[in-house]
Amino acid sequence: MKRTALYLILSLAALIFLYPFIWMVSASLSSENGIRDLRFLPVDFTFDHYIAVYQSIPILRALFNSIFVASFVTLGVLVFGSMTGYALAKHRFRGRNLIFYMIIFTMTLPFQITLIPNYILMVEFQWVNTFAALIIPAVMNAFAIILFRQHFISIPNDLIDAARIDGCHEIRILFQILWPNSIPTIITVGIITFMTSWNDVLWPIIVIRDEQLMTLPQLVTLFTVGGRSLAQIGVKLASATFLALPILIAYIIFQKHFIQSMASTGLKE
Amino acid sequence: MKIKKTLYSYLLVTPYLLHFILFVAFPVIFSIVLTFHKWNIISPMQFIGLSNYKKLLLDTYFLKACYNTIIFLLIHIPLQLAIALGLALVLRENLKLRGFFRSAFFLPVVVSGVVVTILWQQLYGFESGIFNRLLTGLGLSRIGWLIDPKWAMVSIAIMATWKNVGLYIILFLVGLQSVPTSLYEAADLEGANPWQKFRFITLPAINPTMFMVVILSTISGFSLFIEPYVMTGGGPLNSTLSAVLYIYKQGFFYYHMGYAATLGLTFALVILAVVALQRKWIESS
Amino acid sequence: MINRCLVLEVILWLGFVLISCGRNERGNGDLIYWSANNPEEMLFAQNRIKIWNKNNPIHPITFQPVPEGSSSEEIILASVVGKTTPDIYANMWQGDVEDYALAGVLVPLDTLDGFLPFLRARCSDFVIREITSSDGHIYQIPWKANPIMMLYNPLMFSKAGFTSAPRSYDEFLTVAKEMTLDRDQNGYTDQWMGTTEVAAIWWQRFFNFLPLYIAASGGAPLVENGKAVFDNQHSVEVFEFLQEIYRNGYFPKEQAKSQSDPFLTGGIAVKFTGPWDIMQLNRFKNDSIQYDFATMPVPNSDDTLPYTYCDPKNIVIFRSCSKPEIAWKFLQTMISEDADLEFLQLSQQLPRRKDLSENTKFIQYFDENPTLKPFQRQSAHLRGMDSSPYMKEVLDLISQEYELCVVYDKKTAEQAVKDAAQAVNLLYLD
Repeated sequence: MKRTALYLILSLAALIFLYPFIWMVSASLSSENGIRDLRFLPVDFTFDHYIAVYQSIPILRALFNSIFVASFVTLGVLVFGSMTGYALAKHRFRGRNLIFYMIIFTMTLPFQITLIPNYILMVEFQWVNTFAALIIPAVMNAFAIILFRQHFISIPNDLIDAARIDGCHEIRILFQILWPNSIPTIITVGIITFMTSWNDVLWPIIVIRDEQLMTLPQLVTLFTVGGRSLAQIGVKLASATFLALPILIAYIIFQKHFIQSMASTGLKE
Repeated sequence: MKIKKTLYSYLLVTPYLLHFILFVAFPVIFSIVLTFHKWNIISPMQFIGLSNYKKLLLDTYFLKACYNTIIFLLIHIPLQLAIALGLALVLRENLKLRGFFRSAFFLPVVVSGVVVTILWQQLYGFESGIFNRLLTGLGLSRIGWLIDPKWAMVSIAIMATWKNVGLYIILFLVGLQSVPTSLYEAADLEGANPWQKFRFITLPAINPTMFMVVILSTISGFSLFIEPYVMTGGGPLNSTLSAVLYIYKQGFFYYHMGYAATLGLTFALVILAVVALQRKWIESS
Repeated sequence: MINRCLVLEVILWLGFVLISCGRNERGNGDLIYWSANNPEEMLFAQNRIKIWNKNNPIHPITFQPVPEGSSSEEIILASVVGKTTPDIYANMWQGDVEDYALAGVLVPLDTLDGFLPFLRARCSDFVIREITSSDGHIYQIPWKANPIMMLYNPLMFSKAGFTSAPRSYDEFLTVAKEMTLDRDQNGYTDQWMGTTEVAAIWWQRFFNFLPLYIAASGGAPLVENGKAVFDNQHSVEVFEFLQEIYRNGYFPKEQAKSQSDPFLTGGIAVKFTGPWDIMQLNRFKNDSIQYDFATMPVPNSDDTLPYTYCDPKNIVIFRSCSKPEIAWKFLQTMISEDADLEFLQLSQQLPRRKDLSENTKFIQYFDENPTLKPFQRQSAHLRGMDSSPYMKEVLDLISQEYELCVVYDKKTAEQAVKDAAQAVNLLYLD
């Protein structure tokens, strides 16, 4: 009796969380007149909205841009984050505590304060309308540094000392000894960074105004609020579905990793 | 050898230091400088003393943005806590398909906020949105989800809860795992009822998680941008004008860089103050 | 092991090299031309540039549509700030030009060879006065106009027993009362008199307050010499008229974003819009929809043709352009008589020239396309935008009061107009 009730609650909740997506996909495949209905399957099945989206905005180019930007940001955060994390975990040097406090300061600093000056910096560097504006400010992440630091502390010093005696220099120790021993942390930082970069819209809207360089979420946002969607709901939903698709596929394959990684973002307090 | 090692230490942190100086330290200092100036980037910068702060004190939109954020938080936080905790408690039971349900609840978390916003804008439609169809189907009267100034922010808060709650379910599940089962068994022996078990065993154990959920929700409330940007543009009657949207409008609609920086600085201080207050309040209770 | 490390490093560096190449490269010395980003105008611009590039291979022009954004005005401002402006921009809202002229980012066109004679041949004295900057120079070429008129569905009108479009506010409200219906009897209106965007964004006033104000006042400006001049009876009448419409539910309050175009589905009978809608109407409408255009309603109709707002989009050359003389030579081929006709045919937008009703080429085109006839008639009674700075902010301030008074009925029209004027005057005081 109790179990039935619990299943009922869960199923109802699952319906609430999943149905809107099902509706979105099916509406994006319906004719403009059939969109309004509450259904699971498309009405008057058609690909017209997707074709219209493809014809009016460079959506494939945007997909490439997003993958490119998010990949480099992720790579940068992994490399630089682990470098800093390693120094903080295993090295003793003057100013180490200061750096630690700087990182904590960065983590607590609300982004609202740096938004305007960072934009002006981009203008002065002439980085407006370049990928540099999307990538370089994002290649360092305080939270990633802390995660790497926590993990590296747990790695025994003997491992590192042995490598040092063999004549390995520190960069090699980091990438050849520590990285292979930190796969879970790398996956966590990697997924969080990639997702954050992939989903960011505010910063791209501010620094990228050239359609060929826009990221996918940015392009879809501007397409739906802008004039080119011609006030047709179908094309808006089609563009939104297209935007959701890559992450959905990745999520279906790597569910566990996604959930574990994202859950660890909550542990930063 | 020692010197070389120290050298390496500094080499390792150099990228971080460069990045910190360029994208954290400089912006913070420059943003404070900017608040005393009037500047649209195209024309030369003009020193205007405290005018931006005076303007801020009289700015009804600034107050409106603060008020809207409070409304958002008042709806979002309790809703978030209740639903996340409730579903986490159900998911804790030994049920089949737990993994599926957990993944289903988590789905909106991974999907871009843009997708969710575009989607919910259609669901919230007054004339033919799905919610109003359901309401009229049940014989209730329609709600002006996004067109009624009283409802618009509430609607956004509901949507944000739907989007984020999956993450908090997981966080609560992690918190609940830390409760030793022996405690419940002991309570059973003493004949405690479910409410007592919840109140005296579960609740204290997940207190840190609750705190985290409150803080994260507060920060997300002050960071609202894409939702009002796509759905309402800040309307109706500025009822969904959020802090970031207002900074964006001042900064990138009108290019009032000085005033936008003043707003950014003020909102940042407000956020820090609110979080500190919440910390204090939760620690004391 | 070493290799893996090396590969990583190489990838990283390659990446940053690639990033720095990410900037849109432009050919040396090419002039970049930005057009509006609707398909018709893009096609027109590409045609014209192709011809020019064939005849002038040493001075080629590169075509780009203005990037997507919530408005092209936002994009162009961002590009001025980010120093990424094109050389020629052919979609400049007239109300923005004074701001840019004062900031010194535009080429004064009257200093170019043959500009003034060309302009005088193309435009009326009234238009030339309207586009002259406060410093006496001219920074823009009037190019296209999209007069805002009243689109209506004659079929719905005749069903409700009306044979002609309403001309006065009273007539409009009478029709509206009959037209607003609850067809499926569920307690909610599902057919309205019309709709117009309610969002408090400056450019949304182009389709309601602004044309109605210009029609009511016979073409009066909003701002003159750094002072609000819309604080008058005409504004109050417009506000009261629209307020009455919303108070009675003749227009829905929903933002148009979340619905399909209701005119196409027969959900509304009237819409204030420009000729660009004709394309969309013909593309999406079914047989049960008819359409025609009429003049904007006025407080009290007489036999004179009311003025309306024409949403002028003009051509400017940015200071960053290295060869303004060449740009001007190209532009002369782009707005010649034949080019204007081609533009009209392709886009159904009006070239902003004074001879649309006199030049036989244009007369012939309008005769062949009767749906555009109302716009031809209207073309002698158009108003653009005042040549004052901050026009966007002025319209934003009016929008705030508009929303309060017209849409949500929280203020009287007199008070709203007075408050808006006061806020505008404060803006110019700074």
